[in-house]
Amino acid sequence: MASGMTADHASNTAMRTRQDENLGELFARWQERKDPSARAALVERFMPLARSLARRYDRSSEPFEDLLQVASLGLLKAIDRFDPARGHAFPSFAVPTVLGEMRRYFRDCGWSVHVPRGDQERALRVRDAQETLANERGHAPTVNQLAQYLELDSEQVLNALQAIQAYESLSLDAPRPGAEDDGATYGESMGSEDERYELVELDVTAVAALRHIPARERAMLYMRFVKDMTQTEIAAEVGLSQMQISRLLRRSLDQLRALTRDNLDGD
Amino acid sequence: MAEHSNVRLSLANTAENVAVVRTVLAGLADSEDLDPGEFNDIRTAVSEACNNVVLHAYEGELGAMDVAIELGEDSIGVSVRDHGLGIEDQVLDDGAEGPGIGLHVIRTLAQQTSIDRPPGGGTRVSMEFLARGLDAMSPRLSSGPDLDLSGMPRFAAAISIAPVSLARAIIPRLAYTLAARAHFSTDRLSDVQLLADALSAHAGKAVCEQHVSLGIGVQPRDLQLSVAPLRIGQGRQLLRASDLDGLGKVIEKLADYHDINACQTHETLALSMLDRR
Repeated sequence: MASGMTADHASNTAMRTRQDENLGELFARWQERKDPSARAALVERFMPLARSLARRYDRSSEPFEDLLQVASLGLLKAIDRFDPARGHAFPSFAVPTVLGEMRRYFRDCGWSVHVPRGDQERALRVRDAQETLANERGHAPTVNQLAQYLELDSEQVLNALQAIQAYESLSLDAPRPGAEDDGATYGESMGSEDERYELVELDVTAVAALRHIPARERAMLYMRFVKDMTQTEIAAEVGLSQMQISRLLRRSLDQLRALTRDNLDGD
Repeated sequence: MAEHSNVRLSLANTAENVAVVRTVLAGLADSEDLDPGEFNDIRTAVSEACNNVVLHAYEGELGAMDVAIELGEDSIGVSVRDHGLGIEDQVLDDGAEGPGIGLHVIRTLAQQTSIDRPPGGGTRVSMEFLARGLDAMSPRLSSGPDLDLSGMPRFAAAISIAPVSLARAIIPRLAYTLAARAHFSTDRLSDVQLLADALSAHAGKAVCEQHVSLGIGVQPRDLQLSVAPLRIGQGRQLLRASDLDGLGKVIEKLADYHDINACQTHETLALSMLDRR
């Protein structure tokens, strides 16, 4: 330690050095030995960074929880790809990676860019008709039934369904059909029901991946794959539309696959 | 073009199958971020080429419609082929009616168009389109038999894809579209999509070639999916790989029935999904 340095500075430097060694060790344990606890520690350590980047993109049209999920996925990618041997600090690598993920998300969900207004309106009509018919008949309609009901051809309905899947704009804050009276939104109607589906119910105490899935989605995964409920039943249980359940299940499974390194992936 | 394509799709020449071809193109356009205007041209021209096969190739009979797609540097090549009488002679006539109009549209929208009679008969319309920003993709499908689906039952659609990483852009949409035809409810359609996602995600390590082939059979409320060519032992492994943290094997849970058929060189994973509502 150079003489003349203040005691505070010296101890800060020592702490930083210790932390950096610790970080290097954590990256080695994860990247070389696939130790999931090392990755969990890294995620925990850098989650505040992901959170602050997500906040940067916080806008009323996208629920913050969704943004945070995208930022977390970016963080995981950064943790996987970071090469400590290059001598850069992790945050200087992670920030562009996370921001890239956020930008990709906004590009993907940019209705105004990708989806003509007529198609947007049609998608919303299909979404509402889907819910109306499901309520009337007690089960989800077929594409042909939707097409008949809306006087569209089935290809138009299919395209609308794909658009609802692909674009995130039908967000949790979009008004629900029939919910005008109490102004309830999808997000609000979830309420505290999630708390019934604690991690322990899914028996995931030994696994890391599901811990990174928000409680809301974890509850849906549990209902679909453990309790074997249909998406329509889940929708009724949690007060979301079946289309919402479909989209959230799809995204959660994608995230689980990204998190589960031992699986066989396509690349 | 067809010999080195990234996607080969084989269907019957029905009008509703033209929408299936469009679905596959739309999947590629989304995943490769094609310019919407350029994609519109591709979509329109390819639809016209398919319509020609639907209307004119087999004189009112059913026959095969084969579509091959090749992703190139700033370009996309699509060929549409039938095994019928051949439209070329008619095209060479004045063409004011029938196929001539479609070909006029195609020639207007595509950068290059050629029509030939490939070995084995029939007619092939090959189109090359501008697709700025697109990267060439490899590996490609090798030449030889059109689809590696030997031993599979009859399918409404059969597709081969290389590289396997492209499967995610195509297979979920394709399965979704055909499940809609099988009168699945939107609820079960979403399950089909989840299952197709899982297949696409895990197929890469399971196949014994550099491509994946999928056959889809459609019956009322019954969708059959066959995935090949898997390395011996990999059918079961593919199911196991879909087991995500305490949720169980996602593919097995979403499907009503599964079976693994082995031949000497490879395995085929056969899945069936029903809508029992």
